[in-house]
Amino acid sequence: MKSIAYPRAFGRNVAEPNQDAALIARIRGGERAAFVAFYDRYSPLLFSVAARVLGERKEAEDVLQEVMLVIWNKSGDYDPQLGTLSSWAVAVTRNKALDRLRARTRRLRLIEEAAVLAGDSGATSYPSANEIVHGRERAELLRDAMQALPADQRMAIELAFFTGLSQSDIAERLQQPLGTIKARIRRGMLRLREQLGGAL
Amino acid sequence: MIDEGMQEQAAAYALGALDAADRQAFELALRVDPELRALVHELSSVTEALAGMAPALEPSAAVKERLLLEIDQRRPAGAASAHDRPVQAEAGTPGPVPIGRPTTPWIPWAVAATLALVAVGAMWQSAGLRSQLTVQANRINELMVSAELARSESSDLRLAVAKLRESNRVANFRIALLDSLLAAAPKTIAVSVWDNERQDGVFIVRNLSPLPSDKDYQLWIIDPKYPSPVDAGVFQVDAKGNVRADFRAKLPIQAANQFAVTIERKGGAAVPNTKAMVLAGS
Repeated sequence: MKSIAYPRAFGRNVAEPNQDAALIARIRGGERAAFVAFYDRYSPLLFSVAARVLGERKEAEDVLQEVMLVIWNKSGDYDPQLGTLSSWAVAVTRNKALDRLRARTRRLRLIEEAAVLAGDSGATSYPSANEIVHGRERAELLRDAMQALPADQRMAIELAFFTGLSQSDIAERLQQPLGTIKARIRRGMLRLREQLGGAL
Repeated sequence: MIDEGMQEQAAAYALGALDAADRQAFELALRVDPELRALVHELSSVTEALAGMAPALEPSAAVKERLLLEIDQRRPAGAASAHDRPVQAEAGTPGPVPIGRPTTPWIPWAVAATLALVAVGAMWQSAGLRSQLTVQANRINELMVSAELARSESSDLRLAVAKLRESNRVANFRIALLDSLLAAAPKTIAVSVWDNERQDGVFIVRNLSPLPSDKDYQLWIIDPKYPSPVDAGVFQVDAKGNVRADFRAKLPIQAANQFAVTIERKGGAAVPNTKAMVLAGS
């Protein structure tokens, strides 16, 4: 098999929490340079998330632009008590991408889910967005933790995040009791938290 | 100590999987419970790590240019600080259009001349770009033939298709990789190359089971302009399960967002039988 060439941005932009705090303060102050720094650091991650949800590059770029304007205009909405700046940006990206996904006809839903599951993030050999943002070593830790999850937990978590299905919808799709799905998501998320530990 | 019920809600909240009513109730609990806030903070980082498992992609440089232009146009005059100038240069993007600055009389003529040159250039390129459809389809065909199409190697093919998509962005081609939806046929794979300008395309499939004589495979294009997938014709595969076919849509396509293949009666159907969908991809 041919070796995979890593993107030019590989390994760059390892952010520190303190840098994020300073960055958001400067963005709130309307400092363009801070916004550019944020874009350079996180646009590959946010774009990759949007593309994964939508399966469509052009729309993913539109979402990225919308999200970045939210960062610029509404950074006051970010609550540091509930997560890091990048976690918030990921959540905004995911929600905006899902809004677009829902705007498509329901007929596409089956295809969208198939595309997400076909993505099979745990089995890919190409670099992940984590490698660009956090570097290879940390990305491998994250990948190993994800692969170590039982398949049913990972599937429930990925369906919840990437397709925007509610827990009830997931229960229906997987033909499992709602309580089972809730428990899978809880166990999977808590297990990831334990395994990732200091890498988060 | 956070009980299991609240842990479940915290996990779903961090994933964005709570419905509106549950989310509002949970956010009320968050306000008064610092331990719960700490848990949500940690689980949000888990969600971010999950998000980062997506294959790495980078947006085109045009996104950053559009974005910076937009924020510069929205900013009040004189808002640029001393911090901004060096980064703007580092970013390698064209400087923002100054608002309210008087223009010199030759600028509109220069712009018009440039646009004319671009138009002539585009016309000259048009024939060449169209011919790339066949070239790229053949290129994909070679890639598919050379690959063993095993699951472990499909990521190579995905990367190849992604690169072709990148290189062909300006040529208005839509290149889609279709995956098998059949558990019994995981090696089946297909590529669709669609030229929106010419409204035609090339479809290549490998390892798809031949059908009985009273059935056809039918290709569909999903365009958000239409409530139902658009018929793009029927096809059969050879004894090895392979085919390379030119196709056209039955209706004008505005955006070929996704493609799907279903099994239908001989001659095809007006609407797809989604229960008999065998391939899909975007």
